[in-house]
Amino acid sequence: MILVVAEQRAGVLNRATWEAVVAAQRLAQDAGGLPIRIAVLGAGDAAAQELAAAGVGDVVVLSDPALETYTPDGYVMALATAIPSLAPQFVVLPHTYQTRDFVPALAARLNRPLITDVTGLSGETFTRPMFQGKLAAEVRPTGDRPCFVTCQIGAFRADQVKRGGAASSVTTHAVTIDRSAIRQTPDAPFQEAKQSVDLTQAQRIVAVGRGIKSREQLPVAERLAKALGAELAASRPICDSGWLPMERQIGSSGQTVAPKLYVALGISGAIQHLVGMKGSRTVVAINKDADAPIFEIADYGIVGDLFEIVPALIAELEKK
Amino acid sequence: MERETLDVDVLIVGGGPAGLSAALRLAQLQEQRGGERLSIAVLEKARDAGAHMLSGALLDPSTLRELVPDFREKGAPLAAEVQHDRVYFFTQTSSLRFPIIPPPLRNHGNYIVSLNRLVRWLAEQVEGRGVDFFTGFAGQEVLIDRDRVIGVRTGDRGIDRHGARKPTFEPGVDILAKITIFCDGVRGNLTKELLRRYQLGRGRQPEQFAVGLKELWAVPSGRIEPGTIIHTMGYPLRHAEFGGGFIYAMPDGELSVGFVAGLDYKDPLFDPHMAFNRFKRHSFVRRLLEGGQMIRYGAKALPEGGWNTIPRPYVDGGLIAGDAGGFLNSMRLKGIHLAMQTGMLAAETAFEAIRAGDTSAAQLVRYQEKIDSSPVRAELYPVRNVHQAFDYGLLSGLVFAGLTVLTRGRWVEDLHGQAGHERMQTLTAYYGPASAEASAGKTRPASITSSNATEVDRRLTFDKVTNVHYSGTAHDEDQPAHLLVHTDVCSTICGQEYGHPCIRFCPANVYEILQEADGPRLQINASNCVHCKTCDIMDPYGVITWVPPEGGQGPQYNGM
Amino acid sequence: MKIAVCIKQVPTREWQPRIRDDKRWFRDEDVSYEMNEPDAYALEEALRLRETHGGEVVVCAAGPARIQQVLREALARGADRALHVEDEALGAADAFVSAGALAAALRDERCDLVLTGLQSDDQGHAQTGVILAELLGTPHSTIIMEVQVQEGRLRVKRELEGGWFQWVSMPLPALLTIQSGINQLRYATLKGIMAAKKKEIRKISLPAGLQPAQEIVSLALPSRTKQTQIIGGSPQEAALELLRRLREEARAL
Repeated sequence: MILVVAEQRAGVLNRATWEAVVAAQRLAQDAGGLPIRIAVLGAGDAAAQELAAAGVGDVVVLSDPALETYTPDGYVMALATAIPSLAPQFVVLPHTYQTRDFVPALAARLNRPLITDVTGLSGETFTRPMFQGKLAAEVRPTGDRPCFVTCQIGAFRADQVKRGGAASSVTTHAVTIDRSAIRQTPDAPFQEAKQSVDLTQAQRIVAVGRGIKSREQLPVAERLAKALGAELAASRPICDSGWLPMERQIGSSGQTVAPKLYVALGISGAIQHLVGMKGSRTVVAINKDADAPIFEIADYGIVGDLFEIVPALIAELEKK
Repeated sequence: MERETLDVDVLIVGGGPAGLSAALRLAQLQEQRGGERLSIAVLEKARDAGAHMLSGALLDPSTLRELVPDFREKGAPLAAEVQHDRVYFFTQTSSLRFPIIPPPLRNHGNYIVSLNRLVRWLAEQVEGRGVDFFTGFAGQEVLIDRDRVIGVRTGDRGIDRHGARKPTFEPGVDILAKITIFCDGVRGNLTKELLRRYQLGRGRQPEQFAVGLKELWAVPSGRIEPGTIIHTMGYPLRHAEFGGGFIYAMPDGELSVGFVAGLDYKDPLFDPHMAFNRFKRHSFVRRLLEGGQMIRYGAKALPEGGWNTIPRPYVDGGLIAGDAGGFLNSMRLKGIHLAMQTGMLAAETAFEAIRAGDTSAAQLVRYQEKIDSSPVRAELYPVRNVHQAFDYGLLSGLVFAGLTVLTRGRWVEDLHGQAGHERMQTLTAYYGPASAEASAGKTRPASITSSNATEVDRRLTFDKVTNVHYSGTAHDEDQPAHLLVHTDVCSTICGQEYGHPCIRFCPANVYEILQEADGPRLQINASNCVHCKTCDIMDPYGVITWVPPEGGQGPQYNGM
Repeated sequence: MKIAVCIKQVPTREWQPRIRDDKRWFRDEDVSYEMNEPDAYALEEALRLRETHGGEVVVCAAGPARIQQVLREALARGADRALHVEDEALGAADAFVSAGALAAALRDERCDLVLTGLQSDDQGHAQTGVILAELLGTPHSTIIMEVQVQEGRLRVKRELEGGWFQWVSMPLPALLTIQSGINQLRYATLKGIMAAKKKEIRKISLPAGLQPAQEIVSLALPSRTKQTQIIGGSPQEAALELLRRLREEARAL
């Protein structure tokens, strides 16, 4: 059996959970067809029902008042008890900040292998990035089962979930957590107008290069970014000229990113820039120069004037 | 501003072969002769030993043998002993091999080395022997008190691009020393200060330089035998241009490929980096590199003038060794052993001076005496006019070099040299009056292409932007630009006079000319800089000054 | 306060990997190393906490001989002493072995606070710090952007995704994994470098029986297998076609 541990906050399911389900389904298939179960911690009724409706596998709700608010101690205690009795071959989670906060402690407590930030799998061999994406590593767990696996956000596509014919069941397991053993006391999460932009978290990025010609022309790129729900970024010359802040720079002297979608506007594709974004899943390049190196690594390219093409893209996107 | 001071007996500026040999020799003298313990410090601007070290390179091991007799047991990284020594003359389409190699160019008994690896090894020999090796610290200014060198001030750290202090600001330290040994390399910024202040070049020929561009390649094993060295002359250089190519084969398919161009060419549209590309595209070279991969790139100037251009290498409280003093045999294309030798002699001089309690020029003149009676003079003096002879063209230079060898350098009168940047002609002078008007009329100076432009395919040949990525050079962007351009000729007359040669002679794309509404504007991409010093040397107006950026930054020449 | 900082040594940023023939690791000739960036921020945070609360900063590393470079650097920046669990094999060790080695060094130190970077720039497991907390039996929190100490308790600001944050409090002793950018790194001064030579680096032998939890089967340079599709036509046509392919083929929208 392969266990997926869902992530939810206040009953709202984190979409990355579906990506973990896709990974689990692939693992299950490679292993010759193992069943899948999904664990939800805390009350999370809505989340549990949503998961069950997909019919991918039975949902187990681990409930205890101490699990209503996430704490690493609470989650580790609950799963350290539940997992040995559920006895899965693999435990799959999305590689979120929350997962990173508790899963290593859980794996250590149970003395089981943990493979994190996985971008692909085949049988029991997992692919994960090393050296900030410079190398792709194939690794295998050594040690007893279950093996814990966390999936890089966006590496598996949530829309590839194989839904079952009928809804799965939802059962509740009461777990007894000794509240006094939880050492962390969290306040409620809050949102802060972030002083700095974290491009490494963005799923979509629109980046501008010298082809944008002047600071005054930036709005067309900004509007495309908005229409795509993307973050705005730039190659070094743009930041050097002060048209965009340094923190939006992508490349060897800026950020390294690997979003699902990277749109390069008027960027020639000097290697200094490429090393910062070549891990992107889908790269679109728009440039006047057919010989620009960016076209060598783009999935889709349009050779033309970005000042004509981008407005056309915006118009089409804004129609929806 | 309150500055910390640090008192040492001997301060060595520069952790290259000269500086580290000086440090090691001092440590040895200390151990051998005992007496009061000397405090010895080495300042190196790179992040770690060897990071800024680049050379072909061929090492004459005689000095290494003297400094570290058991260098083999201690694992000195000598890549390969020279086995096959070949010299070729290239035309655009062919290569003619010299049947005999002139004796001074023969390399039997020499080794192919990576200077970066050698310097890293030298630093290890120095470690733990009572020497403080400070990496990541740049010498910003010579400290002088009543005409005597009393030490060096290191650069301030933590200044933003507008000149304001960042929260992490650390002022530079005044390192006060009884003797300072300047080993700050070719066109060293501190040695430059000394040359000016003390007129050390008076009565000497003007200094002359070349720029060397180099790549490290990985080619299929077995293509060329390790220990094979190849030097070329002729194409892609023209008759009046000095320089040539080199290819050194190391074990495991590693190839050192490079090109040296004299920084005294007349054609303002000449681009040394393009010459390097042309060299690689020559069928002879292309065949060796095909299917291989360029691993690293770098560039550095070389002091080419020879014996007559070496300045007085001592002042009150100071000595100059290595490339900073111009101790390089441009005919044999070797300078590492001379850097090591002069470093050692400087160390011996310093040791004796401190023990004698006298560090004045009157005492330090012994350094010159030691050099004069050492293999350094024996080697450099006979070939003292060779580089100057090349000023008259390739053929003259070769003939001259040959005669020099035969007569062992006995001449009636020494040739006069000229500072290289003064030889650069204006567009009008070189190409005729129409060219200057044409370039003035062009909408983008970048469209004044180099006279030796060639195809760039990013597999065999590269544009500067791609190449510089492989130098590993990195600088904090938020600091003042360290290339000081004291002029506005860039936006006034330079375009018409010389066509902005800085965009061509810089091998790292530091200088760019952007055409704006009110005329051309110089943009300095300081963080591309590989610290080669070409701009400081070659700018025809003499208005560019290279100063060290914040310490710990610059190229990462691993394996070079 | 006794604060331990666990630091790691990673290849420098501009390093171009060359893979060993057996594909299980990279060729280490000509590789330069530096302190793992998040660990540098952890060290700086420890030094600041010492400045505010007094005490001692002990820097700890598990690695081959060459890791001395970053230990010396940490001492030069102001750490008081160092612990080095030395073994050549630790250069390529996984998080379980690394954490086990660090735990062996720190167990008897009984530090009030242990700081690590949130992950390393080499293998990037993002596990070592949290496993270490479990082995030491202390509470922990991760990806920390701010640290406050008050009367034997910690109050820390944890970074969540999407611009969300959370304050968490816990008793000391505890372990935190630190996020880059939490502070500004100080330079090592000349005097600091000289003083570092006299500070203690205690060698600790690698405990027997540490088992890795994963093995590297092979390393490769990531390759792009897709072909570039150039979309032609007028700007409007190209725009439409691009969006269609992004939606239907690439599923990027």
